[in-house]
Amino acid sequence: MKDSQRGYKIEVWVTAICFLIVAVTGGFFSSIVVILNEVFFNVVQTPEQLVSAYGETMFVFKEHLSVWGFPLHYFLLIVLSWFGATIIGAIWCIVMDRLEEQQKT
Amino acid sequence: MEPREEIFVLGLILSIIVLVISVMISVWARRFTRSLGDYYVAGRSIGALNNGLAMVSLALSLTTFIGLTALIIEGLYIAVSVYAGFTAAFIGMLLLAAPYLRRHKSFTTMAFISERYGSETLRYISVIVMMIVSVLYLAGNLKGIGIVFYFLLGVPEIWGIIVGGLVVTLYVTLGGMYGVTYNQTFQTIVLLFCLMFPVAIVMRTLGASGWAFPPLGYGDMVPLMTDTVPHYFWAMVAHPVTYIAIFLGSFFGIIGLPHFVMRYFTVRDAKEARWSTVVCVFLVGLVNTTVYATGFAAVYYMQTSGVDIPTAAYDYVVFILVEALAGDSWLALAVAGSVAAGLSTVSGLLMIMGAGLIHDLYGSIKPDVDDETKLRLSYGAMFLVGVGVIIFSLDPPEFILEAIMWAFGIAAAGLGVPVVLGIWWKRTNKYGVGAGMVVGTTLSFVSWIMIGYMGMDPVDIPFPFFAKYFYGPLGWIKVISVAVPVSFILTVVVSWLTPPPEEALQRQVDEMHGWTDYDPKRYNGKGLPITIIVLSVFILWFITTLYDEFPK
Repeated sequence: MKDSQRGYKIEVWVTAICFLIVAVTGGFFSSIVVILNEVFFNVVQTPEQLVSAYGETMFVFKEHLSVWGFPLHYFLLIVLSWFGATIIGAIWCIVMDRLEEQQKT
Repeated sequence: MEPREEIFVLGLILSIIVLVISVMISVWARRFTRSLGDYYVAGRSIGALNNGLAMVSLALSLTTFIGLTALIIEGLYIAVSVYAGFTAAFIGMLLLAAPYLRRHKSFTTMAFISERYGSETLRYISVIVMMIVSVLYLAGNLKGIGIVFYFLLGVPEIWGIIVGGLVVTLYVTLGGMYGVTYNQTFQTIVLLFCLMFPVAIVMRTLGASGWAFPPLGYGDMVPLMTDTVPHYFWAMVAHPVTYIAIFLGSFFGIIGLPHFVMRYFTVRDAKEARWSTVVCVFLVGLVNTTVYATGFAAVYYMQTSGVDIPTAAYDYVVFILVEALAGDSWLALAVAGSVAAGLSTVSGLLMIMGAGLIHDLYGSIKPDVDDETKLRLSYGAMFLVGVGVIIFSLDPPEFILEAIMWAFGIAAAGLGVPVVLGIWWKRTNKYGVGAGMVVGTTLSFVSWIMIGYMGMDPVDIPFPFFAKYFYGPLGWIKVISVAVPVSFILTVVVSWLTPPPEEALQRQVDEMHGWTDYDPKRYNGKGLPITIIVLSVFILWFITTLYDEFPK
């Protein structure tokens, strides 16, 4: 395989994989939390003052699913969208820096 | 909400210092401006750290500083999710656009679209979309400056809008992109100090064990919070497609927002463009997570102390919290930070609007005009744009963050889609882009007119077919999950059905990716367009499912 073809495939696949991961942290993660609600939340009686807004029952996070006191889904959301995204970006930059060097030679 | 009874002298002094330093930086930076390229893109000489810091201040507008806290009180988890998406979106912009745009050598998004697709008509359309997006974004931020002045001096918001607007107009006009860049760097540093320290003191007063690091320092307060506000962390108040809409709006909106993209045209090379984004996302994440902590603290304070802050005062809640729990000196810092935050975003927007009108519009209508004349006209245009926006902002939207979110949606459908496809799919042509831009922008802009401007209930808007499903908190945000997929589908399908762009235009794609040779097979496969169509159709279908599962 020619070097340029190999470089092209590396660029496209590394970018696609990184984008997939960061897309999950940047939006799809919360959709997954909502769809898999029974994994993260318990159904409880809604406090009286909130019934009009949320109905008779509502969901509270499972206390054993927590990290440093934060609900797991909340912790993952804020950490993945910050540190996670930064690390993914840095890894991608390193790969692209190397690819750029190869392109120049 | 009543303002303070007396003028807040310390806050006023710090705010004036920020304003004066901003103008001084521009006067100093003026010496670097000798050509049109210097004025619009700082001679393409900005390094990664400087550009990263400047981008942070663009991202952290007053909507973050005060609007997000207000939204957290209103919407709790979903508000945090919006900004988590916004933070990660910078990496989306890095992967899909940043270094490639830098290699294209355009000055603006509008020039990129016109040159990549070989169409002057697209240039005019994109200038119109840019003006809509920028005015919406600007109005929200100038309203924020008005809020700060109202709280600070007790004077009507209108004076804050006028004074803040004039100062920004002055220093943008004077210093061009050099002035804007160095100002934004200065304002980021001010903002970081002025947010982190007061919030840490607030968290300490509330009893958080990790107060020294507010972003993750309030875990031990969670049990008491959930006792009083059991739904605080509940993600179930919205249909799952809401979060997909947030993803689409954030990731493609940020690529479509011309004042963000313009920053990449100022850096030295593609490598600097890449690493500046990594610097940016780390600091934006730091500040955003600190603001989540502020929102948490505000709700916690209201619930545990019995203080009732009226809904109308939610935009002031950061100041109320800092004043009550940290004291006047910290409040002065927070006020100065807010002023810096407002100025930085407004300056970036004025810059792109001036560039769009003179470089892209006037320069296209009169291509024979020399650069010196354009430079002179740019000074005048920038000043007139600033004054025009101040006048428009005198009656801005009530809730400032919503205006910004609409701007993201319109930018995603109107500009984000053509930029991304122009970089990654050679087959994209002007016909497809024209169809996608016009329909995508119309869908989102008309929805804003009906919902955001006229105040109609989202489920009652006469079109599109999906309106019935726009229920729930921030239900209108699902408009984005219609407009962006429709824009993608139209761009891909129409491009496929019409003749491919000529080789010179396709060659630009290889050049943007750093290849010195041309290979017609690169970035020209069927995998990407098919994936885009499948995902877009899936999202449109998903909106209409699970209708009975979520609160209306």
